[in-house]
Amino acid sequence: MVDTRPFLPVSSHAGSDPTGPSENRRKPMKLQLSIFFVLLTVGFFAALLTSNNGSDNGFVKENEHGSLASPSSEKQLRPVSRGPAVGVSEKSNRFFAKDNENQLAYPWNNSMLSWQRTAFHFQPEKNWMNDPNGPLFYKGWYHFFYQYNPHAAVWGDIVWGHAVSKDLIHWLHLPLAMVADQWYDKNGVWTGSATILPDGKVVMLYTGSTTENVQVQNLAYPADHSDPLLINWVKYSGNPVLVPPPGILDKDFRDPTTAWLTSEGKWRITIGSKINKTGIALVYDTKDFINYELLDGVLHAVPGTGMWECVDFFPVSKTEENGLDTSVNGPSVKHVVKASLDDDRHDYYSIGTYHEKNGTWIPDEPKIDVGIGLRYDYGIYYAAKTFYDQNKNRRVLWGWIGESDSEAADMQKGWASVQSIPRTILFDKKIGTHLLQWPVEEIESLRLKSYEFNQVKVQAGSVVPLDVGPATQLDIIAEFEIDKEALEKTTGSNVTFSCSSSGGTIERGALGPFGLLVLADDSLSEQTPVYFYIAKGSDGKLKTFFCNDQSRSSVASDVNKRIYGNLVPVLEGEKLSLRVLVDHSIVESFAQGGRTVITSRVYPTKAIYGAAKLFLFNNATEASVSASLRIWQMNSAFIRPYPNNKESQ
Amino acid sequence: MNNTVSFALLHFAFCFTLVSFTPISALELHGTGANMVETTCQKTPFYNLCISALKSDPRSSGANVAGLAQIGTDKLKAKATATLRQITALLKVAKDPKLKMALRDCADYYNAIVKYDIPVAVEAVTKGDPKFGVEGATDAANEADACGRGFKNQPKFPIYASNKVVHDLSAVVASIVQLLL
Repeated sequence: MVDTRPFLPVSSHAGSDPTGPSENRRKPMKLQLSIFFVLLTVGFFAALLTSNNGSDNGFVKENEHGSLASPSSEKQLRPVSRGPAVGVSEKSNRFFAKDNENQLAYPWNNSMLSWQRTAFHFQPEKNWMNDPNGPLFYKGWYHFFYQYNPHAAVWGDIVWGHAVSKDLIHWLHLPLAMVADQWYDKNGVWTGSATILPDGKVVMLYTGSTTENVQVQNLAYPADHSDPLLINWVKYSGNPVLVPPPGILDKDFRDPTTAWLTSEGKWRITIGSKINKTGIALVYDTKDFINYELLDGVLHAVPGTGMWECVDFFPVSKTEENGLDTSVNGPSVKHVVKASLDDDRHDYYSIGTYHEKNGTWIPDEPKIDVGIGLRYDYGIYYAAKTFYDQNKNRRVLWGWIGESDSEAADMQKGWASVQSIPRTILFDKKIGTHLLQWPVEEIESLRLKSYEFNQVKVQAGSVVPLDVGPATQLDIIAEFEIDKEALEKTTGSNVTFSCSSSGGTIERGALGPFGLLVLADDSLSEQTPVYFYIAKGSDGKLKTFFCNDQSRSSVASDVNKRIYGNLVPVLEGEKLSLRVLVDHSIVESFAQGGRTVITSRVYPTKAIYGAAKLFLFNNATEASVSASLRIWQMNSAFIRPYPNNKESQ
Repeated sequence: MNNTVSFALLHFAFCFTLVSFTPISALELHGTGANMVETTCQKTPFYNLCISALKSDPRSSGANVAGLAQIGTDKLKAKATATLRQITALLKVAKDPKLKMALRDCADYYNAIVKYDIPVAVEAVTKGDPKFGVEGATDAANEADACGRGFKNQPKFPIYASNKVVHDLSAVVASIVQLLL
């Protein structure tokens, strides 16, 4: 008989078991033990099945000749590249240029790198910046907050930077407004927006990434409302005020908007998210910014657009040339929904109608719905945010302009990213589907010496230098007229054109490309064309494209060489008009009064300092153009720390 | 006493079996861990490398895509750090000036990978802003590529294989993080 007590401790009770038929006792024991061994065996097999069979034999072995030991069908060592359709950030395509086969990553020297710093665009003194946050006008100052990494020139350890200005151009740096000092924002003090209450007080809603990496919304407000500089901020003791609702993942819930009033007198905000691959904007109502009610349904959703970051929602007047407070609604008002698409790093907007009762919005033209239609900017431009400037009754747009050089270069130069010049936003009454963006008028205060050129004729296939002195800080306003005869005589074709898939300015058409060459050296070995390309369809209709070609912007191989741009609507009787702001490594270009805008980052190695020049060019085959321009040298904005920064709060 | 003992035995057996069985039930719940690795790796440009890199880490069974991204980034960090050490060691003994220059450039690129690209990728994946992770990993691939091109006209490329692994693995990690967008 089996010893039934092999595992039992020796016990003095062993010999004094209660009496009873010993056979009866043995049977249950035997049964239990059998069950135990069966379970044990099964468990053993289960453990065997689930164990990791793989040994660490994954990596190819090197032999002394440096060739791979194991043959593989995998691709040769080559730059990582994926087409735009896959929606990868543009940075990943920068080695796609045709001529980089034998070139190394460029040996940037300090002279080239320090030239890249801008003179009149907002940027902190060093390190990394991304999204604009909580812009507002308060007690005589424009405030600008931004995502900032205090430690490095790459994204990480994000906190809120802060600066103030009287005119949206001359900025003064202030101490960090908010740092990651609470459990609910320990892993990131992320993007947020300001709301100005009727009594003039300010509340800030922002996303925090908690110690558990959950995205939550938090409330903060100025420590001292009488301080016009709003230096110190207090986080509400009951934060977070919002956590991801059911059905929304912990990491898909960020960037709350400015609030607007409903007809019931409640405040309403929207927060971008996604469900699978459908981008959505959630809607919450609140009376106190502390307790919220999630509305059924969403403000809007568009399948296939992915995560909606930095959602913005605001009214525009159909008739007036001024901005509207975010709470304005009415028959002469349209509403804009904007989203930053995580998937392709572009900002999209769409114009439509807001239905206040159920908190929904419908696009006027579903074909150009949010995320599938118009972009604010066809170059490098992301995480944009507007605010209503009650000082000058306008709606102002901020946008983050990242770098398109290598992270190694960013590390070397010690900083990364700038902000665009703030732009006013107006509804384009003539077109109806577009917004017009234009640099705020205060930028004109930087204009110094001006140059005027009238009706300069540029023959097909020629380049005309424009002598304006130094050409790295310029404000250019230009108008082009194309030879009417050529326009009519040219035979149309069915060939479709797009800036990004074209060959850039070396690809000659009958009616384009023509425009400006900025940041170009005398020999044109480096040049950044900003230009129009007119395509004539087989039906005789003209389509005008507005492009920015970076393919020859620099001989360096480790910078973005793509061609940006899009169609620009041109109405009957309109001349082709262009405004370009050149500020060292950033070029902002506006066509047709801001109907189509392109911002690009340019990193020349030769066309810098005094060697940078400006040219007109016309590489069309049939048409000549004539250009009239006014060009100003631009002063620096002397962006610097607020004087006496060390004063106590 | 016997009853207590038998109860304890049964309880012990039950718990043991439960623990052994749990991996199976977990696999059933998530779709098998192996499947998740395979379907994820299919979406990367270097399937075999992806499989071996992820599976060599026991955490990969039962991991979701974010977990796999983290495992991939850890592997990349280890490989890049090891390659950087290799470069530094080679630099000490290299005599040929052209070789030294190419190695020094690679040291710069690998410094960027280890000090910036990978930490950014790790932070982006854990905190849930994956686009920066895609950028960091892609940049790492580009740095490795730049390192490789420095040896194009050289007779010997001593770190060819490890550099290729870093490049390819960066591309794999970028693809996986891309799935989190």
